[in-house]
Amino acid sequence: MKTHISPALRAVFALLVGLAFLLPLYFTLVTSLDTKADIFTFPPHLTFDWQWSVYAKAWSMFRWPMYFANTLLIAGVTIVLALTTSVLAAYALSFVRFRGRTFIFSLILLVLMIPNEAQLIPNYLTLAVVHLTDTYWAQILPYGASVFGIFLLRQFFLSFPKDYWDSVRIDGGGHLQFLWHVVLPQSRPILFTIGLYIFIGSWNSLMWPLMVTQSHHVQPVEVALARFLTGNSVLWRRLSAASVFTTLPVVILFLVFQRYIIRGISRGEGIQG
Amino acid sequence: MGGLQNSTSVITSSKRDFRKSRFRKLLRNREYRYAVLFLAPALLFLMIFIYLPTLVAFVIAFFHYHLGSSQQQFAGISNFRDALSLNVFQKSILNSILFAAMQVPAILVLSICVALLINHSSRYYNFIRTLILLPYATPAVGTAIGWLWIFNPTYGLANGVLHWLGLPTSQWLQSPTMALPSIAIYSVWHGVGFDVVIVLSALGTLPRAAVEAAIVDGASAWTRFWKITFPLISPTVFFLLIVTTIGSLQSFSQIYALSGGSGGPEYATTTTLLLIYETAFKYNHLSYGSAMAIFLVIIILLFTLIQRWASKRYVYYQ
Repeated sequence: MKTHISPALRAVFALLVGLAFLLPLYFTLVTSLDTKADIFTFPPHLTFDWQWSVYAKAWSMFRWPMYFANTLLIAGVTIVLALTTSVLAAYALSFVRFRGRTFIFSLILLVLMIPNEAQLIPNYLTLAVVHLTDTYWAQILPYGASVFGIFLLRQFFLSFPKDYWDSVRIDGGGHLQFLWHVVLPQSRPILFTIGLYIFIGSWNSLMWPLMVTQSHHVQPVEVALARFLTGNSVLWRRLSAASVFTTLPVVILFLVFQRYIIRGISRGEGIQG
Repeated sequence: MGGLQNSTSVITSSKRDFRKSRFRKLLRNREYRYAVLFLAPALLFLMIFIYLPTLVAFVIAFFHYHLGSSQQQFAGISNFRDALSLNVFQKSILNSILFAAMQVPAILVLSICVALLINHSSRYYNFIRTLILLPYATPAVGTAIGWLWIFNPTYGLANGVLHWLGLPTSQWLQSPTMALPSIAIYSVWHGVGFDVVIVLSALGTLPRAAVEAAIVDGASAWTRFWKITFPLISPTVFFLLIVTTIGSLQSFSQIYALSGGSGGPEYATTTTLLLIYETAFKYNHLSYGSAMAIFLVIIILLFTLIQRWASKRYVYYQ
């Protein structure tokens, strides 16, 4: 048996597979833009009717700008906080020589062994004791350190040529100068990758915000969308429209920066979270 | 050690002085100061939100803990015993395992097939890889709405396709037998891109010489896959098997969204994590929920340990 698929056939088949993955998103878009009569047809209707008014209705039913602002605020502060702690820790673990360095690194890697289901209830209690449940901080602080970030940055830092550090030291500079003027500028792409992961994780998180918040004015988009979904399961076109405008930002971000995400997956292989 | 204390007191005290001075010297040592200063923020967060809570989770599970009450009643193992004897909890564990058993093999087989199909480094194939990875980045609730409509028994695309193929249609999410498989189908769509990227990077490290020699020897694509490609990527496949299983046991968003937040119909989609969420946060039984969480954590931990153990033995890193 000699199997040899022609390149053209292979390309066409690959495209079909790719489009199949796009189909559910396309179908949501079609439903959101259909006329009311067209969504209730069988077999399903697959071309656009361009009923943009549904979007206006879905948008006015909920305080979406507030939820978007909440998500952006939570993601933004988490990114700044987690990147700062990760850069400092990874720097110490790769450029500062001290005894117990490998021990500290294994202690940090130990976090990857502990499923985060273990910490859900105690973290809720900790935040309740200090009266931080139902705030932005409750959704930010538990993500203040990123083990994924520390791991990725350390790997990257260890690949730095030693000459860089030597030349900074000869010029009389210390760790802070080296970190600020050499390490950080060169780390921009990898910092961007980690930031992107934190952003997407933040945008898509549902369980933790559901657990620690009740007030709508601190809740992110995903929680609002889940409430919209469970409360209005018959308004298909509006639900689809809301789904489109809450998903679109991440989709655009992904399409523009997908190579950074692919880099993160390939480099962080062997690591989750 | 006690009997020797007097006779060696001089030595001990000098030893202590030495230690003290060494400690002072360490603190004066600039490298140490930087290490402490730089590591403190990250370690502080890990301490407060990971290390300590993990221990606390075990403690709470042995109490009848009520938030705000000053007296906490010791419960022994009754929370664990009660959880184990609860029908819904048993069903939830079964559901979690079934959910993984349905989606993990599908994701692995599909990701290997897709990766082999698009294993070309051209812009065209990169574009297709992007399409397949796209669902991975989308939020589960947002994309679940589209899938709810796809699974709609009367007007949905899923039944549309079955009807077109002349196959019997299904109630999908509204059927107690099909609800969990339906969510698994969603999860395969959502998660397969991640595995495809990792399989692709494993395929990228295959020695070209071996593959070319096999082609020259006239080995068929099928033989080449089973004799060369698969053995060489098998550590990666094993890694993905464990990681995807762990991820599956930790699913929440898609189950919450596709079951309308209920775990229904008839507890058909109540996974352990969803039950923990309901027990602890909807009904406020924190200790009971904690005991359930510990069972789930132990199951996940087992897979993690297998993975760590195996990766030391089989997985080859450059």
